[in-house]
Amino acid sequence: MEEKLLAIKAAALAELGLAADPEAVKELRVKYLGKKSPMTEILRGMGKLSPEERPKIGQIVNLIKAELTAAMNAKGEELEEKALAAKLAEEKVDITLPGRAPVRGHLHPLTLTMREIKKIFMRMGFDVMEGPEIENDYYNFEALNLPKDHPARDMQDTFYITEEYLLRTQTSPIQARTMQAREPNTPIRMIAPGTVYRCDYDATHSPMFHQVEGLVIDKNISLADLKGTLELFLKEMFGSSVKVRLRPSFFPFTEPSAEVDISCVICGGKGCRVCKNSGWLEILGSGMVHPNVLTMSGYDPSQMTGFAFGMGVERIAMLKYGIDDLRLFFENDLRFLKQFN
Amino acid sequence: MLASIEWLKQYVDINLPVEELVEKITGAGLEVETVKRLGEGLGGVVTGRVTDIWRHPDSDHLWVCMMDYGQGGDPVQILTGAQNVHKDDVVPVATVGAVLPPSSRNPQGLKLKKARMRGLDSFGMLCSADELGIDSKLLLPEQRNGIFILPPDTPIGEDIKKVLGLDDVVLDIDLTSNRADCFSIIGLAREIAALTGNELHLPETKCKEAAGGRAADMAKIIIKDRELCPRFTVRVLKNIKVKPSPLWMQNRLRACGVRPISNVVDVTNYVMLELGQPMHAYDYDTVGGHTLIVRRAEDGEKLVTLDEQERILDSSMITIGDAAHAVGLGGVMGGLETEVTDKTVNVMLEAASFHGPSIRRTSYSLGLRSEASGRFERGVDTARCHEASNRAAYLLEEMDACETVAGIVEDYPAPAAPTVIEVTPAAISSRIGIAIAEEEIEKILTALDFKVEKAGEKLLVTVPSWRGDCSCDADISEEVARFHGLEHIASHLPVLSITQGRQHVSEDVKDQIQDYLVGAGLCEIMSYSFINPAAYDKLLLPEEDPRRKSISLLNPITDDFKVMRTTMAPSLLSAAAYNAARQAERVAIFEIGRIFLPKALPLTAFPEERQVLAVVLSGRRGELNWCADNDDADFFDLKGIAEGLLDKLQVKNYQLAPIDESYLHPGKSCAVVLDGKKVGYMGELHPQAQAAFDLPHKTYLLELETEPLVKYATAVPAYQRLTKHPASSRDVAVVVPETVSKAELETVIRRCAGELLRDVRVFDIYTGKQVPDGCKSMAFNLTYQAADRTLTDGEVDASIKKVVEEVAEAYKGQLRS
Repeated sequence: MEEKLLAIKAAALAELGLAADPEAVKELRVKYLGKKSPMTEILRGMGKLSPEERPKIGQIVNLIKAELTAAMNAKGEELEEKALAAKLAEEKVDITLPGRAPVRGHLHPLTLTMREIKKIFMRMGFDVMEGPEIENDYYNFEALNLPKDHPARDMQDTFYITEEYLLRTQTSPIQARTMQAREPNTPIRMIAPGTVYRCDYDATHSPMFHQVEGLVIDKNISLADLKGTLELFLKEMFGSSVKVRLRPSFFPFTEPSAEVDISCVICGGKGCRVCKNSGWLEILGSGMVHPNVLTMSGYDPSQMTGFAFGMGVERIAMLKYGIDDLRLFFENDLRFLKQFN
Repeated sequence: MLASIEWLKQYVDINLPVEELVEKITGAGLEVETVKRLGEGLGGVVTGRVTDIWRHPDSDHLWVCMMDYGQGGDPVQILTGAQNVHKDDVVPVATVGAVLPPSSRNPQGLKLKKARMRGLDSFGMLCSADELGIDSKLLLPEQRNGIFILPPDTPIGEDIKKVLGLDDVVLDIDLTSNRADCFSIIGLAREIAALTGNELHLPETKCKEAAGGRAADMAKIIIKDRELCPRFTVRVLKNIKVKPSPLWMQNRLRACGVRPISNVVDVTNYVMLELGQPMHAYDYDTVGGHTLIVRRAEDGEKLVTLDEQERILDSSMITIGDAAHAVGLGGVMGGLETEVTDKTVNVMLEAASFHGPSIRRTSYSLGLRSEASGRFERGVDTARCHEASNRAAYLLEEMDACETVAGIVEDYPAPAAPTVIEVTPAAISSRIGIAIAEEEIEKILTALDFKVEKAGEKLLVTVPSWRGDCSCDADISEEVARFHGLEHIASHLPVLSITQGRQHVSEDVKDQIQDYLVGAGLCEIMSYSFINPAAYDKLLLPEEDPRRKSISLLNPITDDFKVMRTTMAPSLLSAAAYNAARQAERVAIFEIGRIFLPKALPLTAFPEERQVLAVVLSGRRGELNWCADNDDADFFDLKGIAEGLLDKLQVKNYQLAPIDESYLHPGKSCAVVLDGKKVGYMGELHPQAQAAFDLPHKTYLLELETEPLVKYATAVPAYQRLTKHPASSRDVAVVVPETVSKAELETVIRRCAGELLRDVRVFDIYTGKQVPDGCKSMAFNLTYQAADRTLTDGEVDASIKKVVEEVAEAYKGQLRS
């Protein structure tokens, strides 16, 4: 009996040794440990054995069963691991293929620049105001101390619609509109970004472009405040190492007036093609609001003073991104637009 | 404004290097745009006399010249091909080793070497003006061709740079329109004097008046319109000898960009450049009645101006007439008839002041802008007409070109009173933002010829007559600030109360829309607001379409920028075509821009400016990729973007309605209706419009007004409690006629399924062999859920059964078996 059992065990282990996949192990489990296995047969026939033999054989059977179960488990695990490894190997992909990325869009570089300008000023408590692009002569010129036939109107080649209506040449009319919309002598802190138009078209001029106007009116506002505010803005925009210089100039709606230059952001002030070797870049126009402008819009220049400034968004974007041709902004070539994030 | 430094030095000592001078005057608000060094690249050219000349024995065009240019010893042989050289002429001689600047003759410049021409040696070259680098437009006609023949009394052996003023440096100053006073050499010299502390010398104006007689007996002045002309003066000059002006004067005029003509004309130009007072010379004997009348022109009156153009005048124009008719346009240009010619014997010399705005209007309407009109527009110094008149007479006397009659005839009824401005040092300091002492203010103003008187706390500042730009205390602050130096103003930030900077909510919504669309893979573009009206034809808009009534510009640059757009479509479609033409496989672009809708034309009120979003898809759906379908975008790509955007902006209650739009595919387009109003549309571009815009692929277009969306986008969403009970879902397919829309079917399904139905989603649409002709099978996934309990399978199955039966029943009649 005992030999018979050992023979079964030997046969089982031999077959297990030959099993190639987890399925074969499963079959062997049924064959040697299942209900119809030879070992079960033997156990069934135990009744015929003597009482002394019974526990002995029983013990042997249990030992063999345990041994075979352990062997089969081990083999099964081993084969399953192998099978999994083979499956994974089979599933290998070419990781150099491009991914299934959602297509990304892009904001226009002028939108990016405009948003940055707005953000800097809003943090300083400036409101953002808007105005119409089709303006009348009064707001675009007269209310800004530019009467009809004034030679300073030459600074801006105007697109006219009628004698009265025109395409605004600057965002400055929003100064007058804002002042007139408020109670006289109310403090104002605002910027006005917008599209403006001038009758000029070549490599450095676009008939349509963008400006941001700024206006601060309060008691005791001075040229030194103007200088400080613009220095802060320009350092935020172009980095803290940028140097700022004011040069006396003329705008009909400010007095005193100043052009504001920054040290060249391309060469750092050493002199290059962009700054025409001067080391400086003209970046915005500014000045103390002319008393006539305050008076015309209902403010009292003996009580309130203010400063105003205006900048070209294209100019700032060109310097910021190193763009060398103004026309690119409006050609809308996707190869250009996709460079900005 | 071009300013010769050599000329400036006549009136103020300039002991600074040019670079420092440029920095100083730019820093004072007179921006030097360029510094032009005349005679740059020119060297070794001297004056020489032709001692003998004969034809080259072996050439029919070359001449052999024997030259004395102060070299000592024998004359030097130089060959020339020019035909205008004669014995004893004085000419520029480029000796061996000389260098010539780039010119039209020698674009690279030239270094002179000994040359051999047809067997004879040439030890140098005789030069034309062009070869010396002089712009031929600024030369007398006789100086333009051939060798530059110099006046016979020119010393021999002199450096040509000295003789022709080519050792000068010219500043090109970008003059701001307020500084009329600096539109002259003397004005700039005054500014430099104030900046450097050096003394200003004034030009000599003392003329001899040696002709005998009195001008008042010989000429008459009448100003008929005092508003247009506050002052008019005339001098009478006799025995005029018209000839070229001396070389030094020609040199200075050329340096300042003015072409020399003849001594009389040159002197009027010279005085204008020097003192800023435009002048005009009339041939005395051609002026009827020797009388000049300043008046408005008659409407339709004609005048032939100096440039030989006939001008039709109108009553807004200032005209100078004689007793009979117009002889000049005051302040703009003289008349041909009374022009000074080489036959002129006597001259009336005008120095007047005209009303700037009128001059400006006149020169604009005639398209006639001159050095004179430019100065009058800005305003000339009415107080100083005599100075100019005397200076001109003095210069002509010095050239021995005239005799001056005593006295100036003038009409100056109301001499201008000087402007006096009250200022306080405290107000000036407060405007500038730093304390500036009274003494410094006084010093700065005095240096600029302002007179300062103390009156208690106040200063009374008298503005010099040439500073018409100063009329209030802010102007005085500017003078103080620019001379104190803007760089010396310590900056600080304004001390203001804390406030929250805000933009309008519609701007916030605009930002949201832009960000959503960028996230959806679209590129933002920016296009011009003006378009070519031919775009309306490309859109196939009917003649009576209101969008054709767009606002047009009076002075467009080109037809492409002619009218203000009434729809965004052409801008976006053109941008798409531009990119398609540059091999862009996928165009997915958007812009939020304004359209301009007039209430009436021509414009009598502000038009409506409406902000509109436009989206265009054309070409491939995504980037070409191995794992994508690589199909072209279709209507549902566009619709998906629109739905996603509206969802993002919390707009839920919009409807899609049929639309009849000429440029859209009738079967693939719809209007977007919100709150009962059409706010936009979307659709496939009509094939004819697609062809008109040169678009190679099917193109999809959306326009949506943004303002109606704002109130939805800014609403704060109310949180919905999540249901704890699970949902059950079932798939169901129904066969219906092809014309039945998903929306219609969904309505039927929802009605049958009752309120436990949460969601209806289409996941397949099939037409083909498996369903009858004219029919389609639509597969839906229905999700049921109750807020208070878990639904049983039985409930859900019963509902599904009802849906299937009722849908079948509803469309039974329409199904062909």
